[in-house]
Amino acid sequence: MPVAVDRLIKNPSDLENYRKKLKGEVNPAVKRVRVCIGTACAAKGSRRLYELFRAAADESGADVEIEAKSVGCHGLCERGPIVVVEPGDILYQSVEEPDVAEIFRETVLGGKVVDRLLYEDPSSGKKAKSEKQIPFYQVQKRIVLAENGRIDPTSIDDYIRSGGYTALEKTLSTMTPEDVIIEVEKSGLRGRGGGGFPTARKWRSCREAEGNQKYVICNGDEGDPGAFMDRSIMEGNPHSVLEGLIIGSYAIGATQGYIYVRNEYPLAVEHLKNAIGQAQEYGFLGENILDSGHSFDIRINRGGGAFVCGESTALIASLEGRTGEPRAKYVHTVEHGLRDLPTNLNNVETWANIPAIINNGGEWLAQIGTEKSKGTKVFSLVGKIVNTGLVEVPMGITLRDIVYNIGGGVQNGKAFKAVQTGGPSGGCIPAKFLDAGVDFDELTKLGSMMGSGGMIIMDEDTCVVNFAKYYINFLRQESCGKCTPCREGIPQVLHILERITHGEGEEGDIEKLETLAQLLADGSLCALGSTAANPVISTIRYFRDEYETHIRDQRCPAKECRGLFAFEIIPDQCKGCGICIKKCPVDAITGERRLPHLINQDICTKCGTCYDKCPFDAIAKV
Amino acid sequence: MTSVRSMQLRRYEGGFFVPRVTIDGIEVNVPRESTILEAAHKAGIWIPALCYNPAVTNTANCRLCLVELQRGERGKLVTSCNYPVRNDITVSVSGERAQRARKGVMELLLARAPESGELKELALRMGVEGTPYPTVTEAQRNCILCGLCIRVCEEVIGCSAIGFAGRGVDRSVTTPFMLASEDCIACGACAMVCPVGTIQIRIHEDTGEAEISPFKSRAKLLICEECGKQLVTEPVAFKVDGRVHIDWDEFKQRARLCPECRRKRTAQSLALVESKKS
Repeated sequence: MPVAVDRLIKNPSDLENYRKKLKGEVNPAVKRVRVCIGTACAAKGSRRLYELFRAAADESGADVEIEAKSVGCHGLCERGPIVVVEPGDILYQSVEEPDVAEIFRETVLGGKVVDRLLYEDPSSGKKAKSEKQIPFYQVQKRIVLAENGRIDPTSIDDYIRSGGYTALEKTLSTMTPEDVIIEVEKSGLRGRGGGGFPTARKWRSCREAEGNQKYVICNGDEGDPGAFMDRSIMEGNPHSVLEGLIIGSYAIGATQGYIYVRNEYPLAVEHLKNAIGQAQEYGFLGENILDSGHSFDIRINRGGGAFVCGESTALIASLEGRTGEPRAKYVHTVEHGLRDLPTNLNNVETWANIPAIINNGGEWLAQIGTEKSKGTKVFSLVGKIVNTGLVEVPMGITLRDIVYNIGGGVQNGKAFKAVQTGGPSGGCIPAKFLDAGVDFDELTKLGSMMGSGGMIIMDEDTCVVNFAKYYINFLRQESCGKCTPCREGIPQVLHILERITHGEGEEGDIEKLETLAQLLADGSLCALGSTAANPVISTIRYFRDEYETHIRDQRCPAKECRGLFAFEIIPDQCKGCGICIKKCPVDAITGERRLPHLINQDICTKCGTCYDKCPFDAIAKV
Repeated sequence: MTSVRSMQLRRYEGGFFVPRVTIDGIEVNVPRESTILEAAHKAGIWIPALCYNPAVTNTANCRLCLVELQRGERGKLVTSCNYPVRNDITVSVSGERAQRARKGVMELLLARAPESGELKELALRMGVEGTPYPTVTEAQRNCILCGLCIRVCEEVIGCSAIGFAGRGVDRSVTTPFMLASEDCIACGACAMVCPVGTIQIRIHEDTGEAEISPFKSRAKLLICEECGKQLVTEPVAFKVDGRVHIDWDEFKQRARLCPECRRKRTAQSLALVESKKS
């Protein structure tokens, strides 16, 4: 038995007093610089910016108190690193090291705005001073991400000051476990990991399952290409996940929790570890939490990077130290989960929703969203979109709103072609369904799925066959190989897609793909296999003609599949500089200096070197 | 109302509910938690299965035993080898959807293991004459990765000399580091359960050893002290020593059996693997 450490907060009144004390310490005159240190901004050097601001604050000698703060992801990753200055919440984007001195001198000390670093609306050209004026944020509704970008993820005091752990206090002092489940039930919350299973129903089954020891697990093994919702929550507000887990453990009757997070998320691991240490020190984890009699602790398990470990039973196998492979679902994890004991597994975002539900009541969340999908959903918006980033929107919002109002439309003014939702398990949705509302059922109806929340935008230059091939190749690498359809079927699908994109497609290939897709859906052991063909099936459904053009005419309409389109020189644009002649590896280009050159199509291997090297954009794909 | 009626129709035996399974129109009653495959045996209906053996745990990974569980409008395909019967259910084995799925799985397996005579034989029995797919997975040809050998080695023999290595298409059954395993006693149980004949026992007359191919593990063969005939391998004899408990009454009874039947009885009492041909 470890010696009981003296904990800071032993009961609800301790917490109340401590929060009052923290709030009292806030000096409204303090000027604050908040630097985003989320992974995207950090990759662009925001940690250095943070250090520079700190050094500047320490050295300024000004009368006013200045505080530099590192905060989690703001969401507008495209424009990072992002720096916000209080008061006024002035948002600066794409800040670089040389800008620090100017921001400090002008804004922090001088109270003036540095115009050139403000966000400029690409359509109207208007400058936005704060988040509130940027369309990217206006359409969003932030519940889970509400405190991201405001609080320091490494400080539990910041979290408590902004109202953190009030939900836990409310739960433990005024609610029975059943009350908690009823509240979650009222909210209509469905699992945010992709499946959309009603959270309250899962909790109740686990609560009612027989077993002295029960577990709760937080699934942070986010592996979809282009998805980073969970990462940003774990990095930006780790205590919200912990609070959700502790409340859930009380409702379910679990005494041990695990957070399974992929090791490729070092910052998330670090922030979670730090948060767990603080929560233990403060008394939110451990024995007799807030004098309620409820005991609970959390451990972190780092995943080795297998996509399949995001599947609940594979995750549990991995947690147990076995190979991460799924098992048959006829035995439910809520009854026989981790170590064969009742286990409740939810995704990061699901857990992070819980404190808000308890604080505001289930009905409050149920007001947001559509009939069967309540609340908000975080999406990571990537691909050929202007504002790459993290967005949280109410369920039911149209794809058009997300793509155009929040995302700012397609990059380089190209036409929108489709959006892939749900990662490798999802499907693509073409332009004609842009006005569809985004919720669990609507997306499924369109042949895609909600998934965990990745949204990849394709423009007119994206070849759907190639796109589907990308996902199938990903799944081929990530299939665990346990069951036949997935292990053998996916490589067969890939084989056919490769033939098609190399211009070797045959009549009947589409039908073969459909047969294999049906087999994968019907026969696979887990969801990785049964949804694997969705990217193929949905692209066939909406872009069958593109498949047919590849197969029949050996042509790629989007001009992406190499060999299935030709390069030609536009005579009017060609300056006759001779670069392409020099670079062409097969000497297919001829021409006099200063006169338009010509590509001999019989010799050309379509390697694209001339296209890349031409300084005048005089080479076109036809 | 309906619930009361179905309650009345429920069959109990010794206080336990006995579910009724209707397979292709034939009704059988089985103990709760039996598998559909067991129910099908009882009903006399054949369902192909490759990775299934009653001597080891079910992993349901070959997916060849898919059947359609009829529920509401649209059925659901489930693996009959491990689907537990908990309520009265209706199952279709010969329905088009189930047949198509099993055929699809078999075609994929044929593409993976094109040279296995055993697999071709089973395919023919299922009415599958060939595969439209090329062989695209190269790792460990002719092994269908059912894992029976691994489970037998671990659960029945207790050696864990082989296991899966790699992931997805690169998956293979192998000894650690692909070297001859010191844990292998060359008992041949893996070769016996292998449904596609990929694992073979090779006898090396020159050295008096048995080799388990393709794992390269070898063990010396025990020789009959009287006639010099080769018996089991030495480590097997040693291992069996620890498992056999001599019961004199049983011994006397066995003395009344012919050598053939006596051997069978002995094998059964050692709780070894059920023959694949059964």
